[in-house]
Amino acid sequence: MTTLELHNQTIELTLGSGQSAHYLLFNPVGGKLRICQKAGSTLLLHVVTIAPNACGQTEIIVEQAERDCNTQIYGLSLLKAQQEQELITRIWHQVGGGKSDQLLKFVLEDNARGSFYGELKVQPDAQKTEAHQTNRNILLSPMAKMATKPQLEIYADDVKCSHGATTGQLDTNALFYMQQRGLSLPQARQLLLAAFLEETLNGLPETEADRFRTLIAENL
Amino acid sequence: MLKIENLHASVGGKEIIKGLNLHIREGEIHALMGRNGAGKSTLSAILTGNPAYTVTEGSITFRGKDLLAMAPEDRAREGLFLSFQYPVEIPGVSMVNFMKTAVNEKRKYQGLEPLSASQFLKLKREKEALVEISSKMQNRSVNEGFSGGEKKKNEVFQMAMLEPCLAILDETDSGLDVDALRIVAEGFNKIRKTKEEAHALGQPATSAIVITHYERLLEYIRPDYVHVLYNGQIVKTGTAELAKEIDEKGFDWLEH
Repeated sequence: MTTLELHNQTIELTLGSGQSAHYLLFNPVGGKLRICQKAGSTLLLHVVTIAPNACGQTEIIVEQAERDCNTQIYGLSLLKAQQEQELITRIWHQVGGGKSDQLLKFVLEDNARGSFYGELKVQPDAQKTEAHQTNRNILLSPMAKMATKPQLEIYADDVKCSHGATTGQLDTNALFYMQQRGLSLPQARQLLLAAFLEETLNGLPETEADRFRTLIAENL
Repeated sequence: MLKIENLHASVGGKEIIKGLNLHIREGEIHALMGRNGAGKSTLSAILTGNPAYTVTEGSITFRGKDLLAMAPEDRAREGLFLSFQYPVEIPGVSMVNFMKTAVNEKRKYQGLEPLSASQFLKLKREKEALVEISSKMQNRSVNEGFSGGEKKKNEVFQMAMLEPCLAILDETDSGLDVDALRIVAEGFNKIRKTKEEAHALGQPATSAIVITHYERLLEYIRPDYVHVLYNGQIVKTGTAELAKEIDEKGFDWLEH
């Protein structure tokens, strides 16, 4: 796994044929990460934002330029106070046989603002593409705001694509159930939120995942 | 143990409980029967502090304390346990983690040290055996994908772990077949501490409120008293015989 620092610049990377790479963007300040995938390459990318000092617009562009590429993106954003983040992903399936899967989750507290724009383009030559995008968000305060915009452009007819976006609150029935067993409300909330965010840590080395679990717990 | 006096309560502005009185002494089992909408589940929601319900009048004393002034979690730590009619599924939260937190929160409240990992596992195994629940279920998320019977069994398991002094069984029999009903009821009977057992440990005996539509559950869990709830009030109190009578004659004759 390689950690990339994004400080309002553009990073351009190419994954060669058959290459596998795992990148982590931790608390990106903003900027652009552009990755070009060659035939049969596999990309795993984690974008983790936990109560950052500064955060602006982060744009991620993945171009599957050749056949049979695999792209997996996990996003975790925990924002509070006046923090704002705009996350943009653009996945371009230029040719066929590729797979992409995105799972992005936001938890917003206080007056935090989150925004997700997810562009998914499947070009006419990209037959047999399988592309999925999921964005799930939880608002912990009535003042928090989330804007989500999945944008699918599919020009090939033999593809499997899906997208879903939900924004909601914590399940009050679950919270009460846990309180009835003796957990305080903050404890119950923390368990639910940790459970909600856990799957975005899939694929991270255990030490790294633990570091984020601790950071999440400290910031809830 | 529990004293409810002139309780009035409403949900969404509608009054459901209209002047209810109930006194439960240590070690007693009280069955609460009545039709849907009589106020049975509202009463359990009020007792446990569900924020969706409002008490408009009256008082509830639990172990000498003002129950209504306590937060839901403190009521639980004080020894009040609700076996939910509809146990909630909590994806991603493991049963083990959940129970460990719950048990240790109660211990903290009692001024006891938290259990170590091995002490907790030992307790868990002991209680799993007691209520005949598979330890595999405990590795799953709380109630997620459990069948109706498994959920009710899991409630009884949690009761065994938390050793309440007042347990409310809210339609624990609903959705259970005869065998599952027997296992759940027997589980409860094993967990329940009589005065002799409890006092030897310096604890109060287990009292219970058993909410049910049917007499069958009460063949396994023998009540000391049976109350009939109608229109937010207790309209009749009797012994186990009353439940049999209701089983034969229905509720009609009591509701005038």
